[in-house]
Amino acid sequence: MKNKLLFCGLLVLGIVLGWFYLTAGQIDGNILLNVRLPRLLLTLFTGMTLAGVGSVYQMMLNNPLAEPYILGVSSGAALGSVIAGLAGLFILMPVFGFAGALLTMLLVWLLAQKKGQFDKTRLLLSGIIVGMFLSAVISLIMYLFQQDAMLILGTLMGNLGHIFSATEYRFFLILAVVGLLVLVLIHHDSLTLDVMSGGDLYAGSVGIQVHHLRQRLFVLCSLLTGIVVAYAGIIGFVGLIIPHIVRLIVGTSQRKVYPLSLLGGGVFLLGCDFLAMHLTALELPVGVITAFIGCPFFVWLLLRKKA
Amino acid sequence: MKEKSKVKRTLFKSCAVLLVLMTGLCIFFSCQKKESPAKGQRYVVLSPEIAEIIAVLEGTQNIVGVTAECNWPESLKAKAKVGQFGAVNKEKIIALKPSIVFASSLEQQAIGSELSKLGINVVTVYPKSVEEMLQGILTVGDAIGEKNRATFAADSMRSELQKLSRNFQPNPRPKIYLEIYREPLMSVSDKSFVGELIELAGGDNIFLELERDYCRIKSEDVIKAAPDLIICYSKDTRAKIKSRMGWQNIPAVQNDRIYFEEDINPDWLLRAGPRCVLGVQRLQELMQYSVGK
Repeated sequence: MKNKLLFCGLLVLGIVLGWFYLTAGQIDGNILLNVRLPRLLLTLFTGMTLAGVGSVYQMMLNNPLAEPYILGVSSGAALGSVIAGLAGLFILMPVFGFAGALLTMLLVWLLAQKKGQFDKTRLLLSGIIVGMFLSAVISLIMYLFQQDAMLILGTLMGNLGHIFSATEYRFFLILAVVGLLVLVLIHHDSLTLDVMSGGDLYAGSVGIQVHHLRQRLFVLCSLLTGIVVAYAGIIGFVGLIIPHIVRLIVGTSQRKVYPLSLLGGGVFLLGCDFLAMHLTALELPVGVITAFIGCPFFVWLLLRKKA
Repeated sequence: MKEKSKVKRTLFKSCAVLLVLMTGLCIFFSCQKKESPAKGQRYVVLSPEIAEIIAVLEGTQNIVGVTAECNWPESLKAKAKVGQFGAVNKEKIIALKPSIVFASSLEQQAIGSELSKLGINVVTVYPKSVEEMLQGILTVGDAIGEKNRATFAADSMRSELQKLSRNFQPNPRPKIYLEIYREPLMSVSDKSFVGELIELAGGDNIFLELERDYCRIKSEDVIKAAPDLIICYSKDTRAKIKSRMGWQNIPAVQNDRIYFEEDINPDWLLRAGPRCVLGVQRLQELMQYSVGK
């Protein structure tokens, strides 16, 4: 009952926010259709994916600190985008970003594999190490190409203001629809994830192929994260806090948490991006807004745990 | 025996000829080198604007080191490089034993103050408007002992700019959007140096006020402002600008009034140096095309 109420509430909030998002200020049909609507769709898709993947990772890795970026894929995607941007190939930034995500995913996969096992600690450590290494490469690029610091900062702090061309937009829409289907597909594993949170041994004993499931989820989630980072850069905290908020309200069952996280993530990011655009005359990086709201929450979460 | 002494003599002779030749060459080249720093003046220039100002004051031959960005005049290419604009190698500067180091901007001021501690004479010129640039010419002129030349240069530049501005006053003024960065979009405000040049040239920069001189902007604001002219310094291409969603209604896009680095040299506009006069002239030419249409 509680989660249905929450679902409806979020839906209404999302529609109201979406309306303001599309129509704030003096605009005409051209801007609404060609600038704001693409941005709204990108924002919603990004928020949903980040929060959904975050909730899956937290369960799968059995770690409350897990988030979509923890397994290094985002750094690979960011590096790919930045390289394309520096070469002046702005339209190819998402493609390069996605390629970077794929390569990183393969690398982490290989590192995490050991004698056919796909251990969660190993996966976590491999992801973090690869991610750190790639971040260092980005820092180096930032130092060497100071004149392009804005591009790199935009990628590292999140930039939902991607300017689409008509063809590119069509391509994005297809990707987004596929992405949504994958998100639905992942929901089928929610029950299994609930069981798996009891430990690999227990899950194995009731017939779940733990390593296989972990591999599948890792690949699907990495692909989704890759798409999102390729278009919007790295937007922190959405994937971390939204699943936690949802769990605080409806409990830990992944079957309830996952769909609510999707919706909550979309609405939260929409709100944050709205603030980023309209809070000051200068558009703020959306990653800063999510962090401003996310950090205090996180501290509160930690304090609560201690008590 | 005789043969040997003959060979010796020939050897000796050819050695003597060689020696004379080499001495001659040495003298010749040392005469050529007279261009090198006179009066013990050795300048290290960290910013391209100041290098251009020094060139106008005909002090280029005294420059011994520059940063990689200093690319005008051509002769600077042969000078020693002391790093990049924002990442200067202090040891290289000190090794060049400069009599004056010319620095600009915030990031260079820290280096400037460190060099001052070592007893090196640092002159900072950081012009952000046309007036400050003209003032900068006087400051540099003072520092390198070319006061009269500097006053003359600044005065003639001022009157040249005034003349250009007076002689071209289109009505209505063409609206200009200058894109300096693509991802994210960035443009300039009227308060920036280049914004001032656009207004001076008779154009109307579409961003009257921004939070900063060079600032991030929104795609929809460009669409709303409907510029007549786009100057694109963001490495993007004509076809891609035309395909940006929602930009098809912009007059500049409809009339193909999009200009790039090859149409108007960015250094003439973005660099607060003496070549801005050329920038204003070129801007007016571009605007005339669009006014004529």
